[in-house]
Amino acid sequence: MSTAETPTGTLDPIPDLVKVTLNKLEIRPEQIRFAVQSDVNAAGTYGEEWFVLTDAAIFTVTGEGEVLHYIPYENVLGIRAEAVVDAGLLVLETETGTVDLIRYSNGCASKFGFVARFIGDEIEFRKGKRDEAPIWDYKPEEQFCQSCGLLLPDEFSPCPACTKKHKVMLRILSYIRPYRGRAILFMLFVIAGTLISLVPPYFNKILIDDILLLNDPTVAVQETSGTRLGNMFRTIQPAAVALSIAVGTLLTIQIIREIFTVFRLRLGAWLTFRVAANIRSHVYQHLHNLSIRFFDKRKTGTVISHITEDSERLQDFMLEGLSFLAVELLLFFGIGTALFLMNWQLACFILIPIPIIVFGAGWFWKKVRSLWHRAWRRRSKLFDVVNDSVSGIRVVRAFGQQRSEVNRFADANIDARDYETNAELIWATYYPPLMFAVQLGSLIVWYAGGLNIIAGSMTLGTLMAFNAYLMMFYEPLRYISPLINWASRSMTAAERLFEVIDSQPEQFDDGTLKAMPNITGEVKFHNMTFGYDSHKPVLRDINLHVKPGEMIGLVGHSGAGKSTLINLICRFYTPDSGRLEVDGEDIKEIDLKDLRRQIGVVLQEPYLFSGTIAENIAYAHPDATMEDIITAAKAANAHEFIVKFPDGYDSEVGERGGRLSGGERQRISIARAILHNPRILILDEATSSVDVETEKKIQQAIDRLVQNRTTFAIAHRLSTLRNADRLFVIEKGKGVECGSHEELMAQKGIYYKLVETQREAANVRAAAQAVER
Amino acid sequence: MQNENTAKQGTLAAAPTAKPGSSESDDFTPRYLEPATLTFTRSEVGAPRLEIRKEACYLRVVVRRLMPLSDPNQYISIAADEDTEIGILVNPSELDSKSLEILQEELDKRYFTPTIQKIYRVKEQFGIHEWEVETERGRVTFSVRGLNQNIKQVPPARLFITDVRGNRYDIPDYRELDAQSYLHIQRHL
Repeated sequence: MSTAETPTGTLDPIPDLVKVTLNKLEIRPEQIRFAVQSDVNAAGTYGEEWFVLTDAAIFTVTGEGEVLHYIPYENVLGIRAEAVVDAGLLVLETETGTVDLIRYSNGCASKFGFVARFIGDEIEFRKGKRDEAPIWDYKPEEQFCQSCGLLLPDEFSPCPACTKKHKVMLRILSYIRPYRGRAILFMLFVIAGTLISLVPPYFNKILIDDILLLNDPTVAVQETSGTRLGNMFRTIQPAAVALSIAVGTLLTIQIIREIFTVFRLRLGAWLTFRVAANIRSHVYQHLHNLSIRFFDKRKTGTVISHITEDSERLQDFMLEGLSFLAVELLLFFGIGTALFLMNWQLACFILIPIPIIVFGAGWFWKKVRSLWHRAWRRRSKLFDVVNDSVSGIRVVRAFGQQRSEVNRFADANIDARDYETNAELIWATYYPPLMFAVQLGSLIVWYAGGLNIIAGSMTLGTLMAFNAYLMMFYEPLRYISPLINWASRSMTAAERLFEVIDSQPEQFDDGTLKAMPNITGEVKFHNMTFGYDSHKPVLRDINLHVKPGEMIGLVGHSGAGKSTLINLICRFYTPDSGRLEVDGEDIKEIDLKDLRRQIGVVLQEPYLFSGTIAENIAYAHPDATMEDIITAAKAANAHEFIVKFPDGYDSEVGERGGRLSGGERQRISIARAILHNPRILILDEATSSVDVETEKKIQQAIDRLVQNRTTFAIAHRLSTLRNADRLFVIEKGKGVECGSHEELMAQKGIYYKLVETQREAANVRAAAQAVER
Repeated sequence: MQNENTAKQGTLAAAPTAKPGSSESDDFTPRYLEPATLTFTRSEVGAPRLEIRKEACYLRVVVRRLMPLSDPNQYISIAADEDTEIGILVNPSELDSKSLEILQEELDKRYFTPTIQKIYRVKEQFGIHEWEVETERGRVTFSVRGLNQNIKQVPPARLFITDVRGNRYDIPDYRELDAQSYLHIQRHL
C-alpha cells in the first residue's frame, strides 16, 4: 500500500462541514488521499454526498457531515462503478458482503468510474496480481470553453460565444478574397442599381407638376415644383415634346436599371457558387482528416447534413439573401433621406406605423416560423411512416398487417393536416392586418399631404412621388424579421461548417512522428486500457506480445472487446493508459500514413465503393497494373467468378456492391487486401454469413493472404481459427487465456467451454440435417 | 406452487421445473413468481436478500422492470445476478409491506430517471438551453444542447430530455403540466 503512488490533492474541494467531521474522526487533511462529491444522496434525491479515501479507510459522508459508511481499506475485496438506468452506483465487495456505497447521477459517472478503476487496480497491486501501481491520471472531459467558461456544444467544437457572428461573416468573406475584383464590381452594381431605383418617382413628380398639370387648362394656378430640372422641363414647348423627353428619360433609366440588375445577379451567382463550392471542398477535405472519434459522437446523417444542407443554406443566403439585404438596406436609408429632404414634416408622419410594422412583423414571423417548423416535423414523420412500411412491405404482407399500416399512416396524416392547417390559419389571420399597418402609412400621407395641397403649400407631384417612395421605404421593414432570421441561421450553418474545419484533425504529420516505411509487424500490448468513454473501460490491462508473421485468433463473447482491440491496432483510437507498440515504437509516435499503409482489413460486411470490380480491387493502389489486379483476384479465388460476368473486371458493383453475392463481395475485398500487401492484417468475421462451399473458397483465399503477415482474426466459428498460431481469449475486456488450440483445450477454461458449446450446436445441426434427409 | 402459477397465467401448458439460477437451463418457458412465497429482507450491510419459501435464498438479487416506461409498477424481473433470472413478479403490490418496501427501494436505486413536475425557467444561449425544474428528486438545473437531438418524444405527449452530462429527465405527459411549465414546453418544442 505504501508503495502505491498517492495522488496529491483532492478531486473536489472538501466543504468545511465535512472537514469538521473528518476532524472529529481524527483524520488530518494530509491523510486524505482524495475526496469525490456525488450529487445524489442515499435517499435518491438531489443532494451532496462525499466519498473519501484515506490511507486506512473508505468513507461516505453526507453534506451535513454525517458519516454513512466507514470501511477499513484492508476489508475491501473489490470495487466497481455500476451503471444503472440514468445514474450510477459505487459498489464495494467486502468480507462481510456487497455494499452499495454511494449513488450518483450520470454527470458524476466519469469521476466515479475512474475512482473505481484506480482503487480496483490498487487492490490488485497490493495482492500482487499487478506489477505496477496504478497511476493517478484523471482528466475531466473538457466541456467548457477555456477562455469564457461556457459549456461547449461538444468537445470538438469551438466556443460559440468566442466565435462572434461578425467573425464568421469575415471568414466567409475571406473565401471571396480570390475573387475580390468581381466582388467589388458586384457591390458597385448593387449601389448603382439602388441609386437608379430612386430616380423614377422623382421623375413622376416632374411629369405631374411641370408638364401635365402645367398644361392642364382646368388647373388655374400651379405652384412650381421649384427644382432646376423641373424648371428646365417647363421651358420646353410644346408640352408634348417635354413629355416625350421625360418619358424617354424614364424609359432609359428603367433599361439601365434592368441591365444593372442582370449584371448584379449574374455576378452574384458566379461568386456565390464559387465561394460555397470552395467552403464545401474545404470541409470535405478536412472531414477525411478527422479522427474516428469525431464520427462516433455524431450520426452519419448529421455529418452528411453538415456538408450538404449547411453549405446549401449558406449558399442560398449568399445568393439571394445577401444581395437582397444589401439592396433593401441601401434603399431604406436612401429613401429615408430622400423623404426627409422632400418634406420633413410629412416624413415625420410616416414614422408613426414603423413600430407597429417592426414589432408586428417580428412577432408574426416568429409565430409563423415555429408553426411551420412544427408542421414540417409532422410532415417528415409522415414520410417516415411511409418509408418504414414500404421498406418492410414484405413483412407487412406476410403478417397481414396492411390495415394497421394504413391506420398508422392515417393517424400521422391527420396529425400533419391539423398542424399544417393551423400554421396556414395563423398566416391567413395575421398577414392582412400586417399589410394594413403598412397601408396605414400611405393613408396618413394622403391625408396630411392632401391638407398641404389644399392649403397650397405642396404640389400634387411631390405627394405622388412621396407615396411612391413610401412603398419602397416600408418594403424592407416587412421582411426585416425573416431576413435577420435567415441571416442568423445561415451564420449558424456557416459556423457549423467552420466547426468541422476547426476540429482537431488526426495527427497525420506534425513533423515529430516517426516515419516507418517498412514495419516487420511485431505488435505488443503492455497494460493497455481503453474505453470509448474514458470512464467505462472496454479493454483492461491487455498484455500480449505478437511476433512478426504470427496469426492470432481473437476469441470471446460478443461485446467482450475484440473489435475494440482491432480498432486500436488501426489507431482509430488511442489507448487511455498503458502502451501499444508496433515494432517497439509507441503507436502514438508512428506516422499514421505509414502505419495505415501497412495495415489491411477484411470486414464481415465488406464495403465496396461504386465503380468497377477492378477499381475496387485497386482501391488503395490506383496505379496497380492489370496483372497485379488479376494476380490478387486469383489468389482471392475471385477471378473464377469475375470472368463469368459479361463485363468481366469492368463490371459495376452498384450501390454497396448490391449486384454481387455476399461471398463474392467478400472475395473482392480479400483481393483488395492482397493487392494492398499489408504487414499487419485484420480479419473481422470474414467468413461469417456465407454458405459452406463459399466459406471453403474464402478460407482458402484467406490462408494465402495471411502468409508471412502478422494477422489478427476474429471469427464467430472457432473452426475457422484452426490456422492461428495462438488464440487470445478476451472476457469482459480482459485478456484471460492465451495459447495454442491444444494448450487452451487442455486448460479447460473459457475457450474449452466455447468450443464445447459450438460442437454441441454443430452436432444438433448435423442431426437436424440428417433428419431432413 | 407451480400449479397455482400455471392456473393463474392460464396459457402456460407446462409449468417450469428448472432450478432457478442455472443459466444453462434449456427451459424457455418464463417462470412467474408467486408473491405469497417471496420475502425480501436486507442483509447486515444492506444487500437485498430474497427468500423463496421452501426453495432457495438469494443473497443479493438484481431487480429490473420489464416495462419501465409503460408499466413501471408491474412485471418485475428478479435475478440472482446480472445474467441469471430467477423469475418474473407480475404484481409486486401483492407482496407483504416490508418486502414491497425493499423492492421499491431497489427499483428506485436502479431506475433513477427523474420526472419533471414543474418547469421554472428555460434560458437559451448559443444553442444551449438551461433548464431549471422541479423533480420528485428535488430541484435541479441542467443544460441541453441542440434541443432536437436531445428531446425525444414518445407519442402522444411523453418527453425524454437528455442533458449534456448524460442525465435523462422524463415528462410523462407534458399536456398535464401546469400552465407556465406547458408554455415553456410549447415555446421550445
